Amino acid sequence: MTVTIAEGAERVLLSGDEAIARGAFESGVTVATAYPGTPSTEILEALAACPGVRAQWAPNEKVALEVALGASLAGARAMASMKHVGLNVASDPLMTASYTGVRGGLVVVSADDPGMFSSQNEQDNRHYARLAKIPMLEPSDGQEAKDYAVAAFDLSERFDTPVLLRITTRIAHSKSLVELSERADHPPEGFVRDPAKTVMVPAHARRRHELVETRALALRDYAETCSFNRIEKGDRRVGVVVSGVAYQYVKEVRPRASILKLGLTHPLSPELIRRFARSVDRLYVVEELDPYLEEQIRAMGVKLSHPPSTPRTGELSPDAVARFLGVRRRRVRGPVQGLPPRPPALCPGCGHRALLTAVKRLKAFVSGDIGCYTLGVQPPLQTMDTCVCMGASIGVAHGVEKATGRSNNMVAVIGDSTFIHSGITPLIDVVYNQSPTTIIILDNETVAMTGHQEHPGTGRTARGEETHPLSLEEICRAAGVRHVSVVDPYDLKTTQDAIRSGLERDEPTVVIARRRCVILDRERPRRPLRVDAERCIGCGLCLGVGCPAISDVTPAGAKKKRVEIAAELCAGCSLCAQVCPADAITEVADSE
Amino acid sequence: MSRVTNIAVAGVGGQGVILASDIIAQAAAGCAHDVKKNEVHGMAQRGGAVVSEIRFGSLVHSPMVPDGEVDVLLALELLEGLRHVHRLRADGLVVANELRVAPAVRPPGAQAYPRDVLARLRRTGGAVVTVPAAKLARRAGNARAANTVLLGVLSRHLDLPLEAWQQALRACLRPDLVEVNLRAFELGRRRRTAPKK
Ligand SMILES: Cc1ncc(C[n+]2csc(CCOP(=O)(O)OP(=O)(O)O)c2C)c(N)n1
Repeated sequence: MTVTIAEGAERVLLSGDEAIARGAFESGVTVATAYPGTPSTEILEALAACPGVRAQWAPNEKVALEVALGASLAGARAMASMKHVGLNVASDPLMTASYTGVRGGLVVVSADDPGMFSSQNEQDNRHYARLAKIPMLEPSDGQEAKDYAVAAFDLSERFDTPVLLRITTRIAHSKSLVELSERADHPPEGFVRDPAKTVMVPAHARRRHELVETRALALRDYAETCSFNRIEKGDRRVGVVVSGVAYQYVKEVRPRASILKLGLTHPLSPELIRRFARSVDRLYVVEELDPYLEEQIRAMGVKLSHPPSTPRTGELSPDAVARFLGVRRRRVRGPVQGLPPRPPALCPGCGHRALLTAVKRLKAFVSGDIGCYTLGVQPPLQTMDTCVCMGASIGVAHGVEKATGRSNNMVAVIGDSTFIHSGITPLIDVVYNQSPTTIIILDNETVAMTGHQEHPGTGRTARGEETHPLSLEEICRAAGVRHVSVVDPYDLKTTQDAIRSGLERDEPTVVIARRRCVILDRERPRRPLRVDAERCIGCGLCLGVGCPAISDVTPAGAKKKRVEIAAELCAGCSLCAQVCPADAITEVADSE
Repeated sequence: MSRVTNIAVAGVGGQGVILASDIIAQAAAGCAHDVKKNEVHGMAQRGGAVVSEIRFGSLVHSPMVPDGEVDVLLALELLEGLRHVHRLRADGLVVANELRVAPAVRPPGAQAYPRDVLARLRRTGGAVVTVPAAKLARRAGNARAANTVLLGVLSRHLDLPLEAWQQALRACLRPDLVEVNLRAFELGRRRRTAPKK
């Protein structure tokens, strides 16, 4: 998806992501980098459509932040955006960028995913602001997302610090009306030599750490009076301290409550909080995930009117906030029971399905990774035995082998973008420490799961320009892997043979299963398949590949299974035909 | 302060839930309403269930509609309608596409597609308008304009002027698709629909 936000009407509907991009644009940002990740991806996509901004995909979040830091040290305003787990990867540069400080404003966006709509965990990244001792802003809607992005650059330059702009899925992916302004130019002055600030050897870092602590005190003073934090006087019987989208939920269900709305959530403002606490009878802290505000506020000696044991999993909603605040709501119905679920599935014709089918037929364990192929954990494929974080597949398979020798029949399965993100170093480890690991790279020539972004292997940049395409096979060979093969996963037998040789070999093996993502390959002529009912023996093996185009249409009470292929869904990959033992699946004849 | 109007759009990934909800939000924004819209995508693509909510009025706080406060549920597919029908107000309305799409995968132990999906929708949903959207869209010139037919039906039940809808269609659609969609919208809007209990 590309969103043009650089021009247009005065008040426009923007998602939180688009609003942040707009704020960065208006602030004169000239360098923006990111690695895709839901719900943050659209920030960079929107910036890529803005004139005057070098918006680029980085191979991973650590690199993104380092590039943004470099740009900042050269005097440019720079932004690095990522999903919450991306900040784990980027946390190393973040911690020390807090010491170096900035030259041009440096804003790091963390998009958290409470409820885990598309994530492997729901960590609360507000802790990073405390850990890195940097200011954190949390907008509560699109307009604030834009305004806070603008303010974040000013704050960054004023206090010589990176700023964390923290949002959640309901901010990132909600649209609301946003007022646009003009772009203010902010040309970079260029890099200046200043080793005491930018070379973090112990002697310099000790000095900088002191400055970080002085800055923390200055920021706390600032927090007491800044316009991001405000008291909305209301019914003095109930006071609520709240930030982010939860503010909107409180306004929805308790419109007359007194509210202390915190926009700057690190550092907190003890005086303001105490003053607010004194002005109300009962005080509540409403927050999503961890008791981040609550614990700090209790530590200030402020008494809260609720027990500390509120649930800390999942996302908030207006209804959850109403329950928490004891607001009486109309009784509502529960969902209709017993409905079939509708989980996402690998598309018909997806190369990942073909590859995972080959692995399944070899009865191998799969050390998995993150991407569309993780959907292979679902029945009927069920070919994923571990999934932890991006790049972990290779290290985990290596570890299993080190622990058990070859007794475990395990392969590592990793997508092309994930391999480039963090699969190369564990591959080097496999070769260095002589593990006979078999690694399968699923190369669909895109970052499919997050919506088909470019990456270094595709030969195109975020702005669609041509660039050098990274060769996966050359990288693997350069790492010292002697057995690198490229197969088309649509060819089941060849693929299976390549993986089997890897499993039997006493050396590292890389099999690159290359097949362009079917969603990008719509132009390819398709020849849909059909089931020849005469030849079909009703074994159901074709159903085992889990293709949405194939369905079980066995009439009730029938002895023999009957299957059908929906011609309008079939991509003609022929995987089902290759698993059919009776040759009963054939191309639809032209006359049909 | 006028009451906030809440709409939920439910369907299957790839059906155009997000675009349909963008058009509704844009139409409301064109009438100087405050508007908020939320949706969950990400893994919702690849044939999974998708839902989006639009709220408009003089001032809207939460982007999420509180339970039991949906005024109109637009179901692009019947099972997805049934999945969200409990969120309607007691006097709410369902505008439903007469379309059944079986889930792409059926985990072991999961129910089959409910044969009586429409009857159950009527039973739990109160007033239900069903629309053969694909048929009407083909009449307008493109079967893919089915969602726009449904928006035309929906428009009869919302307090937004025709021009706002037309402008929203122009703003949200590729220029070469605008004409056929305007026709599809008209067919939906002119359709005589008495909600059935
Ligand atoms: C550190 C981190 N960054 C980003 C993500 C979000 N994310 C999950 S998988 C993925 C990329 C998948 O691409 P690829 O490996 O090529 O597999 P595909 O989806 O194309 O099959 C991304 C960006 C994440 N989970 N963790």
